[in-house]
Amino acid sequence: MRARLRFRRPRRREPEHYPPGPLRELAAAPPAGDHTPVAAVAFLALDVETTGLDPRTDHLLSVGWVPVVGREVVLAEACEITIRPPGEVDVGPSATFHRLTDDQLAEAAPLSEVLPRLLAALRGRVLLAHHAPLELGFLAEASLAAYGARPTVTAVDTLALQQRLLPDHDREVDGVLRLDAARRAYGLPRYTAHHALTDALAAGELFLAQVAELERRLGREVRLGDLSPAHSG
Amino acid sequence: MIAMEVELAEVRDFLARHAPFDALPGAVLARLPRRCTLRYARRGTVVLDAGDHGDGLYLVRSGTVEVRDETGDLVDRAGTGGAFGMSSLLEHRPTRYRCTAVEDTLLLVLEPGAFDELCQAHPDFATFYAATHHARLSRAIHNLQRATTGSTALSTRVGDLVTRAPVTAALTATVGDAASAMSEAGVSSILVVEGDDLRGIVTDRDLRNRVLAAGLDRDRPVREIMTADPVTLTADALAFEALLEMVSRDIHHLPVVDDAGRPLGLVTTTDLVRLENANPVYLAAEIGGRSTLAGVVEEARSIPAALGQLLERDVSAADVARVATALGDAVRRRVVTLVEADLGPPPAAYSWVVLGSAAREEEGLSADQDHALVLGAAVDGAGEAWFAELAERVTTALEDAGWPRCQGGVMATNPRWRLTVEDWRRQFDRWSHEPDPDAVLHSAIFHDLRHLAGDRRLAEQVHGYSVSTASSLLLGHLSRQALSMRPPLGFFRGLVLERHGDHRDTLDIKRPISAVVQLARVHALRAGSPALSTRARLDAAAEARIIDPGTAADLLDALELMSYLRLHHQATQARLGHPPDNHVAPADLTERQRRHLKDAFEIVRSAQQHLSRHLPPGFE
Repeated sequence: MRARLRFRRPRRREPEHYPPGPLRELAAAPPAGDHTPVAAVAFLALDVETTGLDPRTDHLLSVGWVPVVGREVVLAEACEITIRPPGEVDVGPSATFHRLTDDQLAEAAPLSEVLPRLLAALRGRVLLAHHAPLELGFLAEASLAAYGARPTVTAVDTLALQQRLLPDHDREVDGVLRLDAARRAYGLPRYTAHHALTDALAAGELFLAQVAELERRLGREVRLGDLSPAHSG
Repeated sequence: MIAMEVELAEVRDFLARHAPFDALPGAVLARLPRRCTLRYARRGTVVLDAGDHGDGLYLVRSGTVEVRDETGDLVDRAGTGGAFGMSSLLEHRPTRYRCTAVEDTLLLVLEPGAFDELCQAHPDFATFYAATHHARLSRAIHNLQRATTGSTALSTRVGDLVTRAPVTAALTATVGDAASAMSEAGVSSILVVEGDDLRGIVTDRDLRNRVLAAGLDRDRPVREIMTADPVTLTADALAFEALLEMVSRDIHHLPVVDDAGRPLGLVTTTDLVRLENANPVYLAAEIGGRSTLAGVVEEARSIPAALGQLLERDVSAADVARVATALGDAVRRRVVTLVEADLGPPPAAYSWVVLGSAAREEEGLSADQDHALVLGAAVDGAGEAWFAELAERVTTALEDAGWPRCQGGVMATNPRWRLTVEDWRRQFDRWSHEPDPDAVLHSAIFHDLRHLAGDRRLAEQVHGYSVSTASSLLLGHLSRQALSMRPPLGFFRGLVLERHGDHRDTLDIKRPISAVVQLARVHALRAGSPALSTRARLDAAAEARIIDPGTAADLLDALELMSYLRLHHQATQARLGHPPDNHVAPADLTERQRRHLKDAFEIVRSAQQHLSRHLPPGFE
C-alpha cells in the first residue's frame, strides 16, 4: 500500500524546497491522503474567469471559491475576487462570457494581492473544479511568475469524474459533460453560467451528487483515491 | 486588502422566491446564504430520522422529501422551496418524523442560530413555521386517529357509497348470461341471487381464472364458478371496515346487504380509493408533489370531485370557494414552477398574479383563467420572449387542467398585461383619470390582483398603488357599474320576476352575486383598503364607517346564500356531464330557498339604493 502511494505521487515537493512564503506554507499543509474517506477530506471548489484558455498568454479576471467539507458546501466561507489584469490588457471578446467589463476590472485588486489569498485558501484542501486543468494551469503560471515555482496541489476534476460515471454510449453525445448538463443529470437546479463563484458553487454541488452516485455504485464509502486525484507541484 | 462582500445571488434569489423568506427585507435576505450549507441526498436517503436532533432548518433546493410519522404515515411532502426540521428547532427536542428524499435532492440547511434570530426579529417568519409545524402535528394526530377510528373520508357509511342497484344473475343462469349482463352494465362483478337471497358473487377475475384459463364452456351454470356465500357488509358499516375486509381477504368487491340479507349494491376498492383521494388535503399534497405538467394536469382533474365531496358534507360556500382557490393555486403555482424550471433562470424578477375571483379567493366550479405578469425590471427582446413563452406554456397547461382561456384576453399571454411595476402604475393612473367604459371594466378586473408565484413584493407594490390612485371619478364609474347589476324582484308562478315586470324562466344568479362583489370593491376602495376578498372588503368598509356594519353582515349572508345555491347548481351540472352555467331554474329551488333568495335580493337592492344616494358629484 505504502509503495503504491509513493508511486502515485512521485513529484511531490517537500516544503523546504520552496522559498519562504505562500508556496512553502501550502506545501507544509498537504491535504488528506488517498485512503481518507471523502467525508473527512476538505475540498475547495474553485472556478476562474479569464481572457482566454491559454494560461501562458491569457489573464485571470476573477476567481470564486467555496469549501466543501464533510459532504457539505460551506457557504459561509464562499469568496469571489475580481482581478485587475496587468497594464494595457483589455478583456476583449471574452467579456461576452463572463460579463466583466474593463471599467469594473480597473477597480479590482492586482493578481499579486489575490494569489496569496487563493493559495492560503487551498492549504490543507483538495482543489475541486469542473475541467481542473484550466484552474491548475492558471494557478501554476501565476505562481511561477510571482514566486518562481509551481504550487503543490492535489486536484479532483468533476468533468473527468462525470466522464467515468456516464455509461459508455453517452460519452459521445455532444455537451453532456458541460457543467450545466452534468448538473441536470442529477436534478440540480439551473444556474447562470460564467460567473466565478456561481460556477464554483455549481461544481461543489455537482461533486456532492457525484460522490453520492459513486457511493451507490461502489456499495461502500468513497475514498479520495476513488476520485482519481491528480497531484502536481 | 478588504474582503469584499460576497454575493451569493443564486442562493439569495432562491430564498427570495419562497415563503416566508419572500417577505424578509432585502438586506436581511442577502446575509442569509452565508449562514447556510448545501447537502445532497440521493433518492431513498433518510435525511433526518425520528429521534435525531436536527442541525438546522432544511430547505429543499431541488427534489422532494417526504415527512412521515412514527407509524409510517405521510405527514407532508416538501418540494422545491419546502422545508422540514422545524419541529426540532421550535421545540428544542429530537424530531418525531422521518424525512426521506424521494427524489435526488439538494438541500439548503440554515443554521439554528440564524433561524432563531429570524423568528425573533420577524414575527411573520416565526408564525409561518409554527403554522407548518402545527399543521404537520395535527395531520400526524389525525393519521393516528384514522388508524383507530377512521378518517373523515373513511368514516363514511358504505351505504352512502352504493351508487346503483346491484347487477344480478339468477342461480340458474349460465356463465355466458352472467358475462353478457356484466358487459352490458359495464361492471366488473355480478351478484348471484336466488329470489331475494344472495348466493354468490362472480368477478372479472373469476371469469379469467375459472372460465377462460380453465377452458370451461360458457353454457355451464354460473353457480359452478361463483364464490358462494361471499363476505357481506350491512349499509351502516364504515367504509373503513370495508377497507379492512378487502385488504385482509385480498378481494376487491364487497356486496352490501340490508338487515334481511337482501343485496343493496356493491362497494369496490376503487370507490374507497376515490373516497380517500377526494380529500382536498391529500389532493393539494399530490399536486405539489408532481414533477411533470402532465402529472399536475392529471391531479387537477380530481378537483371537481373533491369540491363535490365538500358540498355533500354541507360545507359553507365561502369555505368551498377558499378550498377551490387553494387547490387552484396549488395547480397554478406548480405549473409556473415547472415551466420556469424548464425555461431556465428568468431574465428579470417577476410576480405571476391572478385576477378576478381567484384573486378574491372566491373561485367556483366555473372559473376561467385571469392572470398577468408584473416584472421587476424592463427586459430586452430575448427577455420579452422568455416571458411570452412562460405565459403561453402556463396558460396551455392550465387549459388542459380545466381552466378555459379568458375570452377577453386578460391573461399573461397578452403583452398588454406583462408590464413592469412602473408601467402598471402608469396604467392604473390612466384608468383612474381617463375612465372610458373599457377602462372601467379593466380597472374592476385588475383591482382584484393577488400574487401567485415569483417575487411577492412586485405584486404588492402594484396592488397597493392601484388602491391609492383610485380617483373619485373612477369610483363614480365603478359605483355606476355596481348599480347596473339589478337583482330580480322575486318569483312569480315558477318564473323569475324582473324589475320592469318581465318574466324569465331561469334566474341568472351571477348578476346579484356580482352586485355584492362590486359593491364590496367600491366600498373598500373608498375606505382605501387593499383587502381582496368580498368579506374582508365589507369588513374594512364597515370598520372605516363607509357602510353600516349591519349592512355588511347582511350582504355577506346574501352572498353566502346565493353562492351556495350556485355551487350546488353547478355541482349537479358537473355530475350530469354538463358544462357549469349560472342559470338556475326556479323549479329546482325549494319554496324555502325561493323565499330566502327574495330576501337576499332585497338586501342587495337596498345596499345599491344606499350607494346611489352617496355617489360623487356628476354621478347622481
